[in-house]
Amino acid sequence: MTLKKLFFIAPLLLCQYLCAQNDTITQLQEVVLSDTQLRDYSNSQSVQQLNDSVIALNPASLGALLNYNTVIYFKENGLGMVSSPSFRGTTAQQTAVLWNGININSQLNGQTDFNIINATDFNSVSVRAGGGSVIYGSSAIGGSIHLNNDLSFDNTIHNTLLVKYGSYNTVNANYNFKASTRKFSSDVSISRNNSDNDYEYPDSDIKNENGQYYNTSYNAAFGYKINEKNILRLYSFVYDGERHFSRTLVAPSHSKYRDINSRNLLEWLGLYGRFTSKLKAALLTEHYKYYARGNANYTFGKVNTWLGTYDLAYNITDNLKINTLLNYTHNKGDGSDIEAKERNIGSGSVLLQHSVTEKLQYEVGVRKEITDVYESPVLFSFGGSYDVAEFYTVKVNTSRNFRIPTFNDLYWQGSGNPDLKPESSYQAEVGNEFKAKNFKFTLTGYYIKLRDMLRWIPVNNVWRPENVGKVNTYGAESLINWQKTIGNSRFVFDGTYAYTVSREDGNSNQLIYVPFHKATASLAYSYKNISAYYRHLYNGKVFYTSDNSSQIDAYNVSTLGAEYHFKLMRGLDIGAQVHNLWDKAYQNVTMRPMPGRNYTMYLNFKF
Amino acid sequence: MKLNKLIVTVFAGAFFFASCSSDDDSSDNEPKGAYDNGLLILNEGGFNAGNASVSFLSEANELENNVFSTVNGGALLGDTGQDIGLHGDYAYIVVNNSHKIEVVNRYTFEKVVTVTAGLDNPRYIAFSGNKGYVTNWGDPTDATDDYVAVLDLSTNTITSNIGVAEGPEVITENNGKLYVAHKGGYGFGNTVSVINASSNTFEIAVTVGDVPNSLAVEDDRLYVMSEGLPSWAGTETGGELTVVNLSNNTVSGNYTFADTAHPANLVIEDDKLYYTVDDGIYSMDVTAAALPTAPLFTTTAQGVYGVYSFEVKDDKVYVGDAMDYNSNGKVYVYSITGSIEQSFTVGVIPAGFYFND
Repeated sequence: MTLKKLFFIAPLLLCQYLCAQNDTITQLQEVVLSDTQLRDYSNSQSVQQLNDSVIALNPASLGALLNYNTVIYFKENGLGMVSSPSFRGTTAQQTAVLWNGININSQLNGQTDFNIINATDFNSVSVRAGGGSVIYGSSAIGGSIHLNNDLSFDNTIHNTLLVKYGSYNTVNANYNFKASTRKFSSDVSISRNNSDNDYEYPDSDIKNENGQYYNTSYNAAFGYKINEKNILRLYSFVYDGERHFSRTLVAPSHSKYRDINSRNLLEWLGLYGRFTSKLKAALLTEHYKYYARGNANYTFGKVNTWLGTYDLAYNITDNLKINTLLNYTHNKGDGSDIEAKERNIGSGSVLLQHSVTEKLQYEVGVRKEITDVYESPVLFSFGGSYDVAEFYTVKVNTSRNFRIPTFNDLYWQGSGNPDLKPESSYQAEVGNEFKAKNFKFTLTGYYIKLRDMLRWIPVNNVWRPENVGKVNTYGAESLINWQKTIGNSRFVFDGTYAYTVSREDGNSNQLIYVPFHKATASLAYSYKNISAYYRHLYNGKVFYTSDNSSQIDAYNVSTLGAEYHFKLMRGLDIGAQVHNLWDKAYQNVTMRPMPGRNYTMYLNFKF
Repeated sequence: MKLNKLIVTVFAGAFFFASCSSDDDSSDNEPKGAYDNGLLILNEGGFNAGNASVSFLSEANELENNVFSTVNGGALLGDTGQDIGLHGDYAYIVVNNSHKIEVVNRYTFEKVVTVTAGLDNPRYIAFSGNKGYVTNWGDPTDATDDYVAVLDLSTNTITSNIGVAEGPEVITENNGKLYVAHKGGYGFGNTVSVINASSNTFEIAVTVGDVPNSLAVEDDRLYVMSEGLPSWAGTETGGELTVVNLSNNTVSGNYTFADTAHPANLVIEDDKLYYTVDDGIYSMDVTAAALPTAPLFTTTAQGVYGVYSFEVKDDKVYVGDAMDYNSNGKVYVYSITGSIEQSFTVGVIPAGFYFND
């Protein structure tokens, strides 16, 4: 294959692939991973990686990227508004988001709003299904999302400019600059998104009033090799955004919301023979302002988090690895509706991974957290995988995970409950992975038993959180990937499907906003310099009342896109997309119609 | 007979006479529509869920849910149904988070007009003469922009506003005066405003207990039930029942509850006061010297956690249960002694009962 062809095809066929345990090893010589546990201690679970070529073809927000490409269901309060995940039927607080290995879920409400993270700011986005609290701490129950910037030291300079313009005056722009020498590496990304977001509601004379938003984000990673053994890295992130909260079919809105978040992480990486040592210090700040009426009056909340981690990995033998993680977190929160409080959390984890034979490996982990605020359970994980045949691997994993109470849960003025315990889960899964030359298929079945779920309930006419929820969830997930090259033509198909049943103990009703079925499919075809792709999402019906008396109908929504590749500099792609191709009227959250057919055109220039 | 009652009677008589003259076969008890002579139940629906609805319970105990939507071709009632006012031939449905009043024919429930201009977080409605008076919070974060909107019933437009203290909630009319309880909105109120309906002006504020939530009038006396400050307010205070002498707007008596008792849902029926504390139903003579020590009965057997809506009429007690505030609620009908007679599944968060007769 000629270099040119490789150049062209690489981004396309690198489409999402299903990460296997050894897939990444070959390119690792010059690349320094930001989250090594994702590679080393995730072998008995399913990890799906979406890299920058997939990210570029999808809408800018992390929520939309994951909605169209993974099994995770998203509840989106109107297009571009608050987007919260339900992974394996769990709550939004039970999915952890990790930024270069650091848990960034809000300390205030315990979740990440997936519409205030721009996926284009990261080299890769990985979805690790199932329990991960032993490694990643609070919220890794349904699974975890990993936003990573891996640094390379390879003497290159890469510039990428991605600009999209679409219906409703929607602009998404991202500029990425990567430069490295053998000593120094940098990866700087700046994104800007804004939209009038004033689409007409299908079958109605109402427009999506007060839905406009803008945001700017900066994400950078710098690495410096002091010598072959010692590397310093600095990761920085700043997000500043303002969203108006759109109306519903029957209620006008004047409210708006500002988010100002920053994250800084300094890391000293030491590679000392069989030891790998990482000393990390981080400061995360989150700050929101809620303007209920769009005038000058607002309420706010903010938390500063100081984080210290010591991560020591030791390869006892080539087949036996051990890793200890010591973590100290200090939060200082304040707000118009919460009491000003500080809290300290210390934790220690030990992870072990053993490749017994070439075919059989297992991994074990245990974690204990100590804090002055609540009692934390001992967490564990145990898993293994076995290559039954060349084409078939079976994986088993069981774990105990948790979600800690948030500042809002504990300290909300008048209704916070300082006596809360963390939510905790026992869970188990069995995964089957089939591989052939052009084909990969995984099927995972799981069960999650959640206890002490936090629910806001009326107690003496005051709504407050209590550890009352008991939920059992089971389901199955499947991922499929198929690729085929015939002459100059190349086909790539990716599909996901999730079946989810999630119920309170002793109740046969499905939890609200958890679909029984969700499926995604994408088919890309390329011929020489032209490529076209079709993306489809099926979102099954969801109930929005707990007695299952009211439902939102299932919907299908698709995007059709095409692009042309010019051999200019390192490559220029020009493309266009039609979203909601079949112009279906649908709602994701009740009373919040989503847009009809709409368009995006884009330019992706590498130089 | 009070002057305004006389006027209403004259109008009603004229209407009746007119309808008789055009339809000489009708008897006076002939229903004027499918929803005459029964109980309207307003289901608030979830905030931002847009599922407010109206249920109708006929005198034959047949329940129909989603009346507004069914009659009006699937139209949505709106977001957070707060109150229904019945006046003349119309029902005025106050829909808080849709910032509107749906005016419908009270007997057929056919939509007449939607009032939006001049309403901002409307809460409750009362009537005097040919005017409706609608309490409005305005911007809930602004303690100084609250008002009572004056609705001209002949044009269905808001014609003026009367500025009042923060958090005007329930409103009732007596003898050309309007009495507005200031529950306090996002804060805690402890007054009742008196408004003169002939001049549409604020007259005086009467200080009552903390957080007044319901009003009832009997023989020139206004009974004000205040729930007290909740435990999370810092200093918890118990409820208070205040009696205001309407001839001079002064407090003529009051009854105080225990510090942790937070009463609500005051109604008067047959010279008795009825109210609720948690899941208990209490009753006392309007002239009783002290509060009852024991409830008339409780709703514990039905699992009602707190009584969300309440009414007493013709020896029957109606209790609305909001359940988990997300799924369809329940309405229980009891005899006056507390034996359960009927239960119904209505819409989400049954918030008010209105007898349509």
